[in-house]
Amino acid sequence: MRYLFIFCCSFFLSLSAVADYQLTPKKIAENTWLVEGSTDNFSLHNGGNIVNAAFIVTDHGVVVVDTGPSFAYGKVLRAAIASVTDKPVIQVLLTHHHPDHVLGNQAFDDVPIAALAGTKKLLQEQGNYMAENMYRVVGDAMRGTEVLLPTQLVEEGLMEIGGHPLRLLSLTGHTGADLAILDERTGVLFAGDLVFYQRALATPNTPGLAAWLADIDTLEKLPWKLIVPGHGPLATDHQPFVQMRDYLNWLDSALREAAQAGQDMNQVLRMPIPERFAGVSLTRYELIRTVSHLYPRYEQQQWQRLDQ
Amino acid sequence: MKQRMVCALVLSLVSCWANAVEGDPQPSVMWEYFHERLLNNAEFVFDEKVQVSVPPFAEDARQVPVEVDARALTGRVEKIMLWAELNPIPQVLNVYPSAELEKFLAVRIRVEQATPIRAAFLMDDGIWHVGSARIEAAGGGCTAPSVVRAQEGWEDHLGEILGARFNTGDNSRLRLSVSHPMDNGLVDSIPEFYLDQAELRDLSGAVLARLEIFSAISENPTITLGIKGQPETQLWLRDNNGNEFTAHIP
Repeated sequence: MRYLFIFCCSFFLSLSAVADYQLTPKKIAENTWLVEGSTDNFSLHNGGNIVNAAFIVTDHGVVVVDTGPSFAYGKVLRAAIASVTDKPVIQVLLTHHHPDHVLGNQAFDDVPIAALAGTKKLLQEQGNYMAENMYRVVGDAMRGTEVLLPTQLVEEGLMEIGGHPLRLLSLTGHTGADLAILDERTGVLFAGDLVFYQRALATPNTPGLAAWLADIDTLEKLPWKLIVPGHGPLATDHQPFVQMRDYLNWLDSALREAAQAGQDMNQVLRMPIPERFAGVSLTRYELIRTVSHLYPRYEQQQWQRLDQ
Repeated sequence: MKQRMVCALVLSLVSCWANAVEGDPQPSVMWEYFHERLLNNAEFVFDEKVQVSVPPFAEDARQVPVEVDARALTGRVEKIMLWAELNPIPQVLNVYPSAELEKFLAVRIRVEQATPIRAAFLMDDGIWHVGSARIEAAGGGCTAPSVVRAQEGWEDHLGEILGARFNTGDNSRLRLSVSHPMDNGLVDSIPEFYLDQAELRDLSGAVLARLEIFSAISENPTITLGIKGQPETQLWLRDNNGNEFTAHIP
């Protein structure tokens, strides 16, 4: 009985331990810091920390790009920011409405939280459902987390903050409302989830792979020096764009060919994934999701009206 | 006290095991129930030749793709039954195929929670050959609000049928999608309104397969049937309100 008690205690202690995010900001450019997450899937063990958050220490204060997957993460992120600067946080920018990027908002409820109008609408529609799902897969690390909607809307254009001209781009490829941010002073491109690097892209809200490919072209043409992907490692070369384009094109043609051959979903999600994507994490998992999200559109392109 | 607790624990474990049947690739407390209710306690065998495929998890619990491939089975099929054991409406589809049908079908279903999925083939030897799979799911697919009904003017599209016939070597695959809300009576006081009967016929009207359809099938049902050769066929459908729909599949 005593052992059972000890076992239970250690079990619950290990559960509560997952809320201890270890966030270490890494300086990646002048005044610019990255808090890098893993390229894994959400789990009980990582507290949902699979995402890249970042911040810029401007002359006027700190601008935060994305707030992470939970209230607890947001609080730890804020403490991590305070560990490298005395300046106050003055602005949050959300790249899009997905839970791993916005559920830390509560820790920044005293500063303007800005997003595209489409992002606010999507978060309003889907936020609670997504948060519920995060509680299910991430567990205790989500404790106390609630959806906090953006308090400020931004549009495409220049946002000058404390000596950092931030060029905001309103794009659509990943969710229908995707904000990319180019810091024209440092050349750092905060690409949000328009760019996944070494981690398979997720498609639950994409308007279509063609729109996403167009956004990749737009981003690549910008005068960037350093790319911060939404998921995956930093890059100073074109490799993230090359990989995204390669992967999107493969996905698009593979789904089209499967629909042309009359395959049903289960056959499609078993299809071989090219060897060259072996270094990209979670390809099979995301393919299974993508087939559910996108394959019906590809099917319908191959079908005719048959009713009489 | 301690011993009594251990005994109770062991007993409860044993009783759990007793409910699942030996040899069941997806051990389930519901097997006995469905064996009695759906298969009339008839002789059966868990048979790897009946391959049931589902994704490892349901990305959308309202549209879970299920594929049944029993082409490795020899003999004539009298009847096929497909069900999701832990669904509030377990039965998905019954098929009475002619010899012209391949032993292959795929359909999208709703799941309310993680559940074993079974496909049972009654062969001419009188034995049910049962294939199994299991889907993980956050659930709620059976009680989620209708996507179809949220679209204005959905009634105008009722019974529209999209599809095509695809050649697969010597045989064909018929893929069909019907606009229908497939209301199962579990959502928002909307009464049952679903397709419940279908027949695949050749051009002379002879029945190639008769289908009994249940409301566990997703809205805007998508179904794939394997058929021998490359014939033109017709599909006849009826819903429980008496609406009839037909399609010609070239």
